[in-house]
Order: sequence, then C-alpha cells, then structure tokens
Amino acid sequence: MKLTRRRQDPPSETIIALIDVVFFLLVFFMLIGRMDATAPFDVAPPIAQSGRDMPAGGATVAVSQDGALALDGIAMTRSALETALAAMLASDDGLRVRINAHRDAELRHVLPLVGWAEGIGVRDVVLVVTPTPEP
Amino acid sequence: MASLTLTRPPRARALISLVPMIDVMLILLVFFMVTSTYLNLDMIPAVRQQDQAQAPATESPSAATIMIRLGADGVPVIRGQVISDGDLETLLRQRLEQEPLTQVMVLPSGAAKTQGLITVLDVATRAGVVRLRVIRLQARP
Repeated sequence: MKLTRRRQDPPSETIIALIDVVFFLLVFFMLIGRMDATAPFDVAPPIAQSGRDMPAGGATVAVSQDGALALDGIAMTRSALETALAAMLASDDGLRVRINAHRDAELRHVLPLVGWAEGIGVRDVVLVVTPTPEP
Repeated sequence: MASLTLTRPPRARALISLVPMIDVMLILLVFFMVTSTYLNLDMIPAVRQQDQAQAPATESPSAATIMIRLGADGVPVIRGQVISDGDLETLLRQRLEQEPLTQVMVLPSGAAKTQGLITVLDVATRAGVVRLRVIRLQARP
C-alpha cells in the first residue's frame, strides 16, 4: 500500500504590514503637501529668517529673474495678469495675492505689482520668502 | 416512515482580493512622491488691510524716521553712508531703544534685486521695527 502525504499549501505571506506601510506613506504625503501650481519658469524665492507661515489660498503671481509673469502657474503678459486679477478680486473681495518673485528679479518688476494690486483694492498682498536656501 | 434530510454545507464566503487596492495605493504613492516638490515657504506681508485702516492714525510727526536707501547693488545706505546688515540691525536696535515708534522707510532702486529689499526688511524686523514702509518712486504720467 502506498501512502501519499497530503500536499501542504505554502504559507501565505501576510501582506497586511505592507498595506499599512503603504497607506501611512500615502496619507503622510497627502497631508504634509499642499497642492500648488508651480510657475512655468524657475523661481527661487528670496531668503528671510523673519518670515511668517504662509497662509493657504489666494492667487499666486510668479515673477521670474527676467521679469516674466505667471498667475497660478500660467504664463501671461502684464495686461492679461491685471485683467485676470481684477476678475478674481471682483468675485472674491478678500482675495490674497502672493507674489513669488525670484530673488534676483529686479524690483522694477516686483514693486509695481504690489502698488497696482493695492491700487485696485487688494487688501492682502504678501511676498513669498524661504527661510533656507535650496540645497 | 423515516425521512431523509440533505443539508448542503454552507458555502465559504468569497474573500475580497486586496491586491487591486494595494496596486492602486502603490500607484498613488509613487505619483505623489514623483510629482511633488516640497518647498519651505514663508511670507512677508506687503499690504495688509490693517495697514490701510491705521495708516492715517500712525502718522506721528514726533516719532523719529530713518530713511534707508537701497542702491542697485543691493547695499543699504543711510545718510550717504554704506552700512552692513549687522551694523544696520545694531543701529535700528539703538534707535528703537530711544524711540520705540521709530519709523523705518526703505527707498529701493528699481534696479536692486528682490533679495536686497527682503534682506533689509528681514534685518529691520529682527531688530524689532514695527513701523516699516517701502517707498516706490513713480514717474509722473
């Protein structure tokens, strides 16, 4: 008589731990990150140690080193930018405008924007800075 | 008469496969890790509602005023004298000890870099200046 041993199934490896790790990583990246439109050109914000925490929301105006402009990630001319910002202000009275200017951008490209925004009634204009230089 | 009852064994519940969920989560994780750039950004207020509301009230003729000119090279100048960032902070601290409401006005050149203006604002803020204004000369239309 021939006895055959019952074939054992290979032990299933638990994947619960893997799911946990992946899930925690996913939640981590989703929580600590804030989705924001990036400028279509390189912008390295100026360095300042006394900056305050950046509030969320509002419109972001990027100014490149040579004075090119972008609103919320879309490159546009100065006149188009003014039209778009005026329309945004009309729909949101408390609009916050963040000016993310390259640290080497000349002030003749930056300060007129601040003055113009103040002139049309924007009551919250901030300059974006970074406490640490990029590595 | 004896009856015969046949009972069907309960069917085992089908297990929901976790593999598709793991796939989706891994794809989401890789997406966020690859497409995200993490920047440590702060802000310096340039125009605030409170500033506009309090501007007339804070004009005090008795308070001292310091004018800092910022040349095209980004170097601050006070009364024609070039001053380093460290000396500027010391000077502002001394003035604020004498007159806490000292107003600091910065007149930058249009050719100066943004970093130069931010550095001056940073130094003034660290020194404790609360009345800080940036002046911009505008061509007459």
